[in-house]
Amino acid sequence: MSKVIAVISGKGGVGKTTTTANVGLGIAMNMKQCVVVDFDIGQRNLDMILGLENRVVYDMVQVMDGEATLEQALIRSKANRNLFFLPASQTKDKSVLESAKIEELLKELRQKFEYVILDAPAGIESGFEHTIEFADSAIIVVNPEVSSIRDSDRAIGILDSKSKRVKDGGEVEKQLIINRIDPDMVEKGEMLSSEDILDILNIELLGLVPEDKGVIDASNQGQPIILNEKSEAGKAYKRISKRLCGQKVPIVQPKAKSKGIVGKLKGLFS
Amino acid sequence: MFFSWFKKKKSATIAKDRLKIAIMSDRGGADYPFMEDLKRDIIEVIKKYKSVSNIEIRKASSKDVDAISIEVELS
Repeated sequence: MSKVIAVISGKGGVGKTTTTANVGLGIAMNMKQCVVVDFDIGQRNLDMILGLENRVVYDMVQVMDGEATLEQALIRSKANRNLFFLPASQTKDKSVLESAKIEELLKELRQKFEYVILDAPAGIESGFEHTIEFADSAIIVVNPEVSSIRDSDRAIGILDSKSKRVKDGGEVEKQLIINRIDPDMVEKGEMLSSEDILDILNIELLGLVPEDKGVIDASNQGQPIILNEKSEAGKAYKRISKRLCGQKVPIVQPKAKSKGIVGKLKGLFS
Repeated sequence: MFFSWFKKKKSATIAKDRLKIAIMSDRGGADYPFMEDLKRDIIEVIKKYKSVSNIEIRKASSKDVDAISIEVELS
């Protein structure tokens, strides 16, 4: 049984593509055949994060239009042999997407892979709706910040009304990743805690990813952070990937830097 | 300030309160079509007793009941 997972958010810039790359690679590291598909037509980015931008020859729109075969367009990851990548078209725009063609493409991908992960475009327009239409489940990525949370609730609303599974009387599974948590700020009450966010959005938690400067360093090199054994964000993505592969892994709260007594007093009176 | 710490509401709490209201109203979808008319009528009635500076009417339906909340600010 294969599973199609759409990675979505309300607003852009919350780490959707980073999440797709790391979760895809993490699932592949768990010995599962996985493909990540860039659905952000016209704004291809997943190739850069995966370090595969120089290998792109054909894109998913060409596959859908029969100008290239799936085999020709799929790119195998250098980091893990179980991971494949299907790039977005850079020259066309989101209007080229058609439901019937997407359904056909996903059917073909389902036959080859256990996990099909779709990186949705930001926003809640047609490109977004096409990405979620045939998904079995969705990963919603938010930052602990008001605009991201509000927009994600709207994206969840569209997911609940436009997904084929829902229209057929079923349900689309939803799981939340809270990304870029600053535990020091949470401790000071200057950032929404994960409990607050779950209380507001009322969906299942998939994982908590702390803010990590290494993520930019990783994307500079096209080496997803999950490959960095020391990174806290990398470890968080490893746990998330295991959960997606059906393992029971406890949620780990990002830890605040422990302060000495002087620091604690300073915090109290600042 | 030394004592401001004790009084100041944490910004995360403010964010949570604001988000709950914003999301509730987002989820509520379209307002009832009669809201603008209702607003005008309420102003007319209250003006007999006291002048009104602002009226907020919100859809406040839950799963079981359809409801609206009306907040009248007097001037």
